[in-house]
Amino acid sequence: MTDNHAMKQGAPQVTSSMISSETSYTLDCDVNGEPVSMKVQPSRRLLFILRDDLQLTGTKRSCEIGRCGACMVLMDGKPVNACLTMAYQCAGKKITSIEGLSGRGVHPIQQAFLDEGGFQCGYCTPGMVISTKALLDDNPRPCKAEVEEALSGNLCRCTGYGGILRAVYKAIETADG
Amino acid sequence: MLLNRETSGKRWRTRPDGEEKVTGKLVYLTDMSASGMLFGNVLRSAFAHARIIKLCTDKAMALPGVHAVLTFEDIPGLNGFGIAKPNQPVFCEDRVRYVGDAVAAVAADSEELADQALKLIEVEYEALPVIDDPEQALAEDAMLLHPEGNLLHRAEYRRGDTAAAFDDCVHIVEETYFTPRQMHTYMETEGGLFIPGENGRITVYSATQHGLMDRLQLSRITGLPESDIRVISSPIGGSFGGKDELNVQPYGVLLALRTGRPVKLHNSRKESVRAGIKRHPMKITMKTGVNREGKLLAHQVRIVADTGAYATLGAEVLNFALEHAVSGYRFENVEAQGYSVYTNNGVSGEFRGFGGNQAIFALEGQMDRLAELLGMDPWTFRALNLRQIGDPGPLGQRIAQTDGAKQVWEVLAQSPLWMERSGPSGETHEPWIRTGIGAALAMHGAGLGFGIPDPGAGRLALAADGKIEAIFGYEEFGQGLIATLEQMLIEQFGFATEDLRIVIGDTDVVPDSGSSTASRATSMMWTALRNMRPAFTKLLVEKAAALTGTPYEQLELGAGGIRNKAGVLLLTFEQLASAAGEPLAVKTEFHYPVTPDKRVGAHFLYTYAAVAVKVEVNTLTGRVKVVDQYHAVAAGPVVNPQGFLGQIEGGSGMALGFTLSEDAFMNSGRYGVNNLDTYLIPTVTDLNGSVTVVPIETLPEGDIYGPRGVGEIGSVALAPAITSAVHHAVGKRIAKLPIEPHLLQEAPFAQKKEVSGA
Repeated sequence: MTDNHAMKQGAPQVTSSMISSETSYTLDCDVNGEPVSMKVQPSRRLLFILRDDLQLTGTKRSCEIGRCGACMVLMDGKPVNACLTMAYQCAGKKITSIEGLSGRGVHPIQQAFLDEGGFQCGYCTPGMVISTKALLDDNPRPCKAEVEEALSGNLCRCTGYGGILRAVYKAIETADG
Repeated sequence: MLLNRETSGKRWRTRPDGEEKVTGKLVYLTDMSASGMLFGNVLRSAFAHARIIKLCTDKAMALPGVHAVLTFEDIPGLNGFGIAKPNQPVFCEDRVRYVGDAVAAVAADSEELADQALKLIEVEYEALPVIDDPEQALAEDAMLLHPEGNLLHRAEYRRGDTAAAFDDCVHIVEETYFTPRQMHTYMETEGGLFIPGENGRITVYSATQHGLMDRLQLSRITGLPESDIRVISSPIGGSFGGKDELNVQPYGVLLALRTGRPVKLHNSRKESVRAGIKRHPMKITMKTGVNREGKLLAHQVRIVADTGAYATLGAEVLNFALEHAVSGYRFENVEAQGYSVYTNNGVSGEFRGFGGNQAIFALEGQMDRLAELLGMDPWTFRALNLRQIGDPGPLGQRIAQTDGAKQVWEVLAQSPLWMERSGPSGETHEPWIRTGIGAALAMHGAGLGFGIPDPGAGRLALAADGKIEAIFGYEEFGQGLIATLEQMLIEQFGFATEDLRIVIGDTDVVPDSGSSTASRATSMMWTALRNMRPAFTKLLVEKAAALTGTPYEQLELGAGGIRNKAGVLLLTFEQLASAAGEPLAVKTEFHYPVTPDKRVGAHFLYTYAAVAVKVEVNTLTGRVKVVDQYHAVAAGPVVNPQGFLGQIEGGSGMALGFTLSEDAFMNSGRYGVNNLDTYLIPTVTDLNGSVTVVPIETLPEGDIYGPRGVGEIGSVALAPAITSAVHHAVGKRIAKLPIEPHLLQEAPFAQKKEVSGA
């Protein structure tokens, strides 16, 4: 129940000066092997730098609070949620997005996802592939618990994870073979 | 035979849309942008229920960089949408009925400016009492949410004399079941790009499950003829029924038409939770009785569904739930009533399973409870009452007969997992972990049902460039529809992958194949190809015979072109297309098969599933872990093994969330969750158990309906199987989902006896 009273929506005191995009900050980093130098707000999130400023839309926007992993990218080889990473945190770093992984054809991890059907709608897939890449670079022969921990920050709503787990084990096997 | 990559052999194919998906190159409609585009956003209600006293957009409009601020006054046509009943306002005029109600929309140079403009829109409300419970909404003195009252729809079905039959029962179980407000949680939230074109046309790039329905609804809202609206609607990052209804499209279209510029909208997750439809929370009371031998004599059902503020498909979901609440078994005497009720809660609508999930959870719960009273094995008890081939459908209607119910029952009875149940109970690694095995069974209708337009259509053409085009009005939201269509074309016609071009999701070119919903698209594509195959083959082969001089009888369609019976390629499709000089095309139009009996919504095609699960109940935390699943599914021939497996695994994963963790709960009309930190869908650690899928492909001789769709059947029987297994593990009956852990917690080291006295 709510009180039976009048209430106003709207805040007339907000002015356009609060949303100025003027900035003197220059971000210098490496994205998928290419040097990037751009003027951005130091707090601009990497997700939007990639998607909107650099048109790298393989990194997906979904929860924007670091729970779903759809925007997972590698920063100096470690997986990070691009939605929780600000421009200033990227200074001098090597950022690898899904486009960087597949730049030279289909990566063996991606091939494993293809072979095993480790995707359906595909929206979580770039993030899944990136998390798998981070895991296998760090630990080429992970046990079941390590695989699950590495992927527990990536949500998939389509597959029930069956195909994804088969793809990851296939990727481990392929690398071993 | 169990289904996996090995057992599927060469029929396990790489999806045609796979490479673009795993490489991130696929451009979803929310990834699109256009030069000069504006960013749109929608102002939604501050209240769950209120009158709008004043609405002023002047300050928002005065903000530099804002190009349009629209309200109800700016709608050229109908201020309403809804697939079955368009009573949800595009923009509220004088009253808001839920927190997702739209009041205004803006288009601005940037997302930040659009957000600021929303804050400058002044709305004065007078709060009204919030009706947040359907029973409260049905009270005589309840405030009316709609002119026709608070009851969207009442459904009823009776046969026999239940009152008399209950008198003859030896055991009667009466229980009330509750199911949650499940959220679809597609990973891609709603959004798209809206581009005004020349001559007043507009192109909509936004996800839906039925482009032509969106076109119709947008035509009503804008007043534009349908031919001036082009809806491009695939690929889609998940839908599960949730994107079938309009969401951002009316705002994108109206803003683009007003500004004459491309407009992009893409809901934040919070916006998606707040405005989007959910699965209907239902309260289902069942009273079911048996005689001494265990024969079901009487079954009484009362369903109350919270349909939220507006109609969309609330009536149809209720009809489906009612039908499935009395399905699968031989009940002589049935009395079922259902109520779909408006409240000030979020709008409930279409969601994979379509009301079957709720009904089957309750129905199977009754079966387990009755078996226990009879002292019978629950699976044996089911066999005693299971429907048989030749029996009418749940509502007494004639249906396409299969032996699916018995088939799935038998396969499950012989499964290793079910046999393990009667063996010695396994060692538990920890004394506070208890294991249990349970099972449930379901029959599930497909198609929209009697009395509802349910068209099927398709076209095949040899295009000028020599590609074989298959053109259907369906959508690809992840289920693998393109892959399934490709596999059917290859296996039935002998085409090669590279011969094909599949065209879907564009209202300017597709026929009205109906909606990609209700587990119908696979069977409709199969029927369409079967209808077109003779004519298309004849058309191409006759032309080739004339061109090559080879007799018609010696030619056939094959990979790459027309071949002789020895398999030698005589004419490529490209050569045939250029020599033909005219389009070689055939089309088919038909209707989804329906029962001849006049019962609105009653189904004709059904699939069957039996599911067994093994759970571990942690009695310290009260958490349930599903460690093994076994699914027997009778849905006719498997047309796409990878797709079939994925649908059953994925559908059951979604059902696991429905059972164990998911509820977009509301309090006084406000959501208690707003993102994926509080709304918990299963992660890989929740779904790391074994899943075995066993398709039963045989159909009765003479069946002309072929493969049935499996988009939903994997999601409807898991919940009752889990609660059955929980009972097997700890002896507790669960009637409310998601399972509340505290009900399963046991105080460690505490004395089990009650503390007496006050």
